[in-house]
Amino acid sequence: MPLNIDLLQILLHMLNFVLLAGGLFFLLYRPVNRFLESRKAYFAEMEQKNAEQAKENERLRQEYLQKIQDADAELTEKKKKAEKELAETTAQYLREAKEKAAAIISAAEQAAEDRKEHILESAQTEIGELVISAAQKLLNDTVTPERNRMLYDEFIRLADSTVSDERSKHVRK
Amino acid sequence: MKKHKKRIFLAIWLSLLAVLLTGIVCLWPPGAKHETIQQTMQDGVLHESNKLRFFGLTVNPGLVSAYLVSAALLLFAALIRIFAIPKFRLIPGKFQTAIEKLVTFFADMANGNSPHKPGFVGAYIFGAGVYIFFSTIFELFGVQWITTGGVSISLPAPISDINAAIALGVLSYAVILGAGIRNGGLRGALSVLKDFSLPISMSFRLFGALLSGLLVTELVYYYVSLSFVLPVVVGVMFTLMHAAIQAYVLATLVSIFYGEAVHPRPKKKKEKKTKEVVAS
Repeated sequence: MPLNIDLLQILLHMLNFVLLAGGLFFLLYRPVNRFLESRKAYFAEMEQKNAEQAKENERLRQEYLQKIQDADAELTEKKKKAEKELAETTAQYLREAKEKAAAIISAAEQAAEDRKEHILESAQTEIGELVISAAQKLLNDTVTPERNRMLYDEFIRLADSTVSDERSKHVRK
Repeated sequence: MKKHKKRIFLAIWLSLLAVLLTGIVCLWPPGAKHETIQQTMQDGVLHESNKLRFFGLTVNPGLVSAYLVSAALLLFAALIRIFAIPKFRLIPGKFQTAIEKLVTFFADMANGNSPHKPGFVGAYIFGAGVYIFFSTIFELFGVQWITTGGVSISLPAPISDINAAIALGVLSYAVILGAGIRNGGLRGALSVLKDFSLPISMSFRLFGALLSGLLVTELVYYYVSLSFVLPVVVGVMFTLMHAAIQAYVLATLVSIFYGEAVHPRPKKKKEKKTKEVVAS
């Protein structure tokens, strides 16, 4: 044939190439491709896991932010409540203190009054006793039977004059 | 000896060597070659004179080269499969990166050009690309082989043999045709058959590209006077670049045509039905 073309040699070349292509496919192309696919799958899985983790992290972050906001709100609410309770308690204490103070003052005034009355009563009794004793002493010293008779007479005279004055006043009316 | 004296001695020695080598090269007798440049070039194209024995057959040197390259590649692949791939890590080292890049280059090309069914064509163009690249580089090693005539020759790149180029072109076309038949039945086969020139163009593109490199390299190597410095440039230009370019071109063409062959076709029955529905 022209150009030294030989059908047998062409077939031998084909056989050689088919052997080589098959061998390279089984020894190199397929194992390397499988490795690359497994690595790609591994990284894809890792990427997916990372994405899921990031999503979970974001969800947790939002949850924590919400919790923080809720806690802040709760804190504010509690603070307001505490302030209100404090104000109420303070007012209550003040009111009670005022009431107690008023009661104490009232009791003190009452006690002072009682004390005063008691002192006055005691003083009057003592004064009376003193006056009586002084009068008794005076009487013991100065009164004689003549003097007593004179005093009784004087008393009766004065009593008579007083009764007559009263009768005259009634008559005039 | 002082430094400047050493330098002077070295310069004189190198100059003397250069002068002697130039003289030897210029005066080398042309009769020492066993064939003329015309015969060498003609044999490079047709492989008529230098034949090799291969399992009892008399074959072109390219066939021996092809089997040697395949054996080396399969051995290398087996070593990688046994020792390297089980130790592959998630964060690759340099060697692992190189292997991964090699595989993903062809796999990505298959995915890009034939997105519907990239599996088989990816494996095929991987094999074809690796084979073309390394078999073209093979000629740089200058593996010696004794011809049937008892002469030692340097084994050429397998695809510089037209039989290898035809084999690869026809196989590639068969892969595309098979994909067309599998995807669209007779219609798919017909749509692929319309590109009947494809195997010829693929074969001759490969053969021509590799042959041009081989001829220039043969020309350069034939004359001893051109064997200094120039082969480095020529070797890089016509071997390494050809290897990469031809591997890339064939892999791209096969994946594109394969992608066209397996591209899903719209069903006409459905179109008719929808037309009828619209009309009613």
